Amino acid sequence: MNKTKHALFSYSFIFPSALLTLVLGIYPIAWAFRYMFYDYKGFGTARFTGLANFSRILKDTQFWDSVVNTFVYAGGKLLITIPLALLLAAILNRGLRGRQLLRGIFFMPTVISTAVMAVVFFTIFNSYNGILNQFLIRSGLSDSGVDWLGPKYAMLTVILVAAWGAVGNYMLLFLAGLQNIPEDVYEASSLDGAGKIQQFRYITLPMLGPVMQMVIMLAIITALKGYESIMVLTEGGPVGKTEVMFLYLYKLFFPVGGGSAAVQVQEFGYGSAVAFVSAVIVGMISLIYFYASRRMNQTD
Amino acid sequence: MRLNTILGKTILWIFLLTVAFITLIPVVITILGSFKTNAELTAGATFLPKSWHFSNYAEAWSQANFSRYTLNSLIVSLATVAGTLLVSSMAAYVVDRMDFAGKKWYIGLQSFTMFVAVGAVVLRPQFDLMVKLHLHSSLWGVILILISAHASIFFILASFMKGIPRELDEAALIDGCSPGRTFWRIILPLLGPGLGVGALFTFRGAWNEYLLPLVFTMTKPELQTLTVGLANLKYGISAASQTHYMMAGACLSILPILVAYLFANKSFMQMTAGSLKG
Repeated sequence: MNKTKHALFSYSFIFPSALLTLVLGIYPIAWAFRYMFYDYKGFGTARFTGLANFSRILKDTQFWDSVVNTFVYAGGKLLITIPLALLLAAILNRGLRGRQLLRGIFFMPTVISTAVMAVVFFTIFNSYNGILNQFLIRSGLSDSGVDWLGPKYAMLTVILVAAWGAVGNYMLLFLAGLQNIPEDVYEASSLDGAGKIQQFRYITLPMLGPVMQMVIMLAIITALKGYESIMVLTEGGPVGKTEVMFLYLYKLFFPVGGGSAAVQVQEFGYGSAVAFVSAVIVGMISLIYFYASRRMNQTD
Repeated sequence: MRLNTILGKTILWIFLLTVAFITLIPVVITILGSFKTNAELTAGATFLPKSWHFSNYAEAWSQANFSRYTLNSLIVSLATVAGTLLVSSMAAYVVDRMDFAGKKWYIGLQSFTMFVAVGAVVLRPQFDLMVKLHLHSSLWGVILILISAHASIFFILASFMKGIPRELDEAALIDGCSPGRTFWRIILPLLGPGLGVGALFTFRGAWNEYLLPLVFTMTKPELQTLTVGLANLKYGISAASQTHYMMAGACLSILPILVAYLFANKSFMQMTAGSLKG
């Protein structure tokens, strides 16, 4: 086969993939970033306003509140998810009766749509007749139940639901990483008299380092960008207590969410600027983590 | 020492069973709830249903239009799986086996789309594009957008492709097999496990997708998928919310994906190990 034919064949095979990616992947990102310098409501003409959108962001307390909420949400989710997933993976990696079944159980929430499960969690957590409160009142643990989706506890509830859905995923990734650690290292160390906890501290943790670095990075990015379950569970309420960055962003583009009747103006120009700032924030956190974790590895 | 290990084992199992319990309880509540009446659910008085209303499933199926939602979900998921696998296996084949100008650019393009995501922002331009193509009020728009996000499947398939010996397709070429024919007749069948894993991942993603179908079916409720239809039941089609139908629907929507997981469990476990090593 001559060279031209060879190249033509290659291009014809890569064409569908490249076309789809460029048109439906790259172009939309470029589109969004173009409007960040415009006043554009989604219809009519876009008016160039220079940096006006960015100075509006600086004064937008709702946005900065959502940034703070995002950090609380992501931090809480990671604090529960990562240690628990690591612990489960370490336990289920080695010979234990019923570990296949347990893996399946822990992994199950990740195959269920967060949107669907959030709806079910609503019937569990809602304060008026939620299943959890019914249980608390009936069993005498609480007089009037807890306002799980109220201003005080909504964020905690949202974090618990998010962690419920995520633990299995990271457990699986840790399990995959653990399979790279050769079994004879453990055997040698137990001959030397090392206990299970010592093995975990001095073998599992250090040898899992690189995988852990990647998994945590992935978890950070996912947690910073997560909003689907919050959208279904609380829509960001009450009074914006669970409003996170990407949910706020979503509402600027699609103001009529779920069943809420509040119709606001679509803010594409401003939304694009918010999207850019949000992407930069996520990028910065990732970079900081990346360098910090690399440093940690070097000093170890 | 003996006593210590027994104590340790007990603590270990208490811990494991507690986590398993917490993981399962929302699912169990959903399953049990799907057999209750709406009144019983609203009162929330019982754990087990007072009487088992199997008819909820039939009612949800017909009244709350779940047959339609399920069909829509199946169309979206299966079409997305087929399209994604086709598009990304073809690309993975030429990237791994051929040399051509712009290959690095293509790989860079795929990495970029995987790492730079700006959330829901892209929905609007994607929607506009579909309006221009007259696909905005059909599920094909959703399917095309889902297929376009195939970067991770491309990388997975490319790593599987490396495991297929080059000698095989070289021999085929010498025997006069065109590269296209080699791909269909030799590479694709050997790519089986990779394709299976890619199918499960894609199916899971498409089946659970919420935002895309939500946006694309705002004007056409009959095109809603299960995830969208279920989330909407929270607010009730009529005035009151129909929690019992919602729960029956949730159980129905979990079923196909659970079956897929059970069948794919083995290749699934191996794949995640392999993809990390790669």
